[in-house]
Amino acid sequence: MSLDNLKNRNVGVQNYKMLDLGHTPETGWGKFKQVLKRSVKLELFVGLKVTMREMFKALFMGEMHTVKYPFEKLPISPRYRAIHEMKRLLESGHYRCIGCGLCEKICISNCIKMDTRYDENQRKEVSDYTINFGRCIFCGYCAEVCPELAIVHGGRYETASEQRASYSNFEDMLTPMDQLVNQKEYPGFGAPTPVADKNIKKTPLAY
Amino acid sequence: MDGYIIATVIKAILILAVISALAGFGTYIERKILAFMQRRLGPMHVGPFGVLQIAADGIKLFTKEDFIPSGANKIIFMVAPIITAATAFIALAAVPLLPEFTLFGVTVRPIVSDMNIGILFVIAMMGVGLYGPLLAGMAQENKWGIIGSARTAIQFLSYEVVTGLSLLAPIMMVGSLSLIDFNTYQAGGIAHWIVWTQPVAFVLFLISGFAETNRTPFDLLENEAEVISGYATEYSGMRWGMFFIGEYANMITIGFLASLVFLGGFNPLWIIPGGLAIILKVAFFFFLMLWVRAAWPHIRPDQLMWLCWKVLMPLAVINILITGLVMMA
Amino acid sequence: MEAIAFYIFAILITGLFLVTVFSRNILYSMSSLAAGMVLISGLFFIIRADFLGAVQLVVYSGAIMALYAFGMMFFDATRDVKEKNTSKYLVFLLSGFSAVALVVIFSAPAIGKHIEVEPIAKGLGHLDNVHAIGAVLFTKYLIPFEVAAVMLLVAMIAGIVLASKRMDESLSEVYVGTDPETEKKEQK
Repeated sequence: MSLDNLKNRNVGVQNYKMLDLGHTPETGWGKFKQVLKRSVKLELFVGLKVTMREMFKALFMGEMHTVKYPFEKLPISPRYRAIHEMKRLLESGHYRCIGCGLCEKICISNCIKMDTRYDENQRKEVSDYTINFGRCIFCGYCAEVCPELAIVHGGRYETASEQRASYSNFEDMLTPMDQLVNQKEYPGFGAPTPVADKNIKKTPLAY
Repeated sequence: MDGYIIATVIKAILILAVISALAGFGTYIERKILAFMQRRLGPMHVGPFGVLQIAADGIKLFTKEDFIPSGANKIIFMVAPIITAATAFIALAAVPLLPEFTLFGVTVRPIVSDMNIGILFVIAMMGVGLYGPLLAGMAQENKWGIIGSARTAIQFLSYEVVTGLSLLAPIMMVGSLSLIDFNTYQAGGIAHWIVWTQPVAFVLFLISGFAETNRTPFDLLENEAEVISGYATEYSGMRWGMFFIGEYANMITIGFLASLVFLGGFNPLWIIPGGLAIILKVAFFFFLMLWVRAAWPHIRPDQLMWLCWKVLMPLAVINILITGLVMMA
Repeated sequence: MEAIAFYIFAILITGLFLVTVFSRNILYSMSSLAAGMVLISGLFFIIRADFLGAVQLVVYSGAIMALYAFGMMFFDATRDVKEKNTSKYLVFLLSGFSAVALVVIFSAPAIGKHIEVEPIAKGLGHLDNVHAIGAVLFTKYLIPFEVAAVMLLVAMIAGIVLASKRMDESLSEVYVGTDPETEKKEQK
């Protein structure tokens, strides 16, 4: 299934049709007629035909429905909120995080912990940043408040772990330097919408 | 005499080994075909195309702890699965599996015991086989088991009449109860198959065959949605496996019976030799059972009784009557 | 060879039927009854009466299956049955008398030599088992056979009449409406 098909599921716009199923016969004669009609029309064999057709379709026309899950995965919606990713600036390769601490502040399950310091250039540098995924409820507030789109949600949804507390370091979540060319801009929760430019309004100067 | 005994023992062991292996393989085939019909893949990962899944299941069943629940009646609980498995194989003793062939200069007849009442014996043995589920369900202190065995009883009392009566018409035509006589009666090719002269009996026998093997339209005994697992609720490990082997062996037996009685048995067919012909026919019936399981819903116990006593039995009796009239005329 | 088989079967059958009579557990007694009936067919097979053996299997497996159904309804199969005997001597006398009567009835002709137990299949030697039974049933024993058939028919019709009084209503409908009389009884 491609992503287009996945997104185009028309949730909420189903067109239900009432099937004309007829009436259950009341009298013995009516029941007998129904049995006779169904036997003559060989309705049971229609069922057999359908299953056989499905088998041929599955075997020879490549319409097998199975997704061999650990080996292949269905595409996931960009707005899905899974394990966090830390993005880098495309030009310099430096991480985007400016150490403002908003994500730590807003985190409602208190799972983000960050420490910052000034480096030799008197720039703020993230010295310590961990997310406890044992506590994280994937609410997405951190990604929403981040002014730099530095912390975002990725698509890695296999979050099971052996221990309750499973900490993730900043470096582990950061896009590796050699993967920087492949880094994609985050379209999901908290990112500016495609129509964000149009929605910008002048600050009213009346006051 | 000694040679006869040794040959019989060898045949019995061979049939036991081959059919129980086939029964194991049958579970794999069933899972694969049901999966394909539902557009799934079925067992995939153990061995090529998942063939070794049987071995994995076998290891699992053999090494499981063999326990008897505290409330159960121990002896009956232990005996019940053996009844099912044993009677399924005893029934096969009277079935000619393949045509005669010569091996190392010795003519081999692939039938353990050529008794002249073969078909009656097979039906009787398969009927006795239902004591397995019945006793199993009653030996447990478990509601689902009791319901399962009650359903066994009504199912047995319903279909057994239809099986007997539907086979009576072909028996009248052939004039013998021996399955080999049935085979020789149809030796003249497809036009001589009994299914053309007895289509009603064929359909009735198929329906009651499905009931006899507890296959899907009539799988009341262990329907999971209704009675958990019915008679097998408290069984596990090899005891449960014996029920399974019995069921699959019964399916193979019904396939052999149907093809021997109605579809020309092991007579050669055009260019197909007789042995291959009967294997193909049995394979078709086996496939039909899986096919039906994928396609049709199953029915309620009262519907089964209604069907057997009010529809099929009168049909079978009328069929016998007409057959008799035609034969007299 | 056949004698050995006969004695094995005979001992097993007697033992199983003893279990049937003496066991306090409904499951044991019915299972041993069924097993005994199956083993009796072994005796038929020993004397080459294959047809009768198979018929024994078919008929009695079905009959005892019905018995099981009743047992399931009346008793808890996992518990022992406690019998209530009002007078032990009456039961003893009645059962003993009927057993003696049966033995006398079956052995009297053989002892008295007035009726010879002649082999039925005399002159039917060229037929096989099934055909011989058919020939005997429809010649020498035609009237008993037909009478038995009529009796079965009578029993079947009686059963249908007894069971079919309320056949048109389903059971769930029968007991839903409480008619005033039963309600009064319940209140009392």
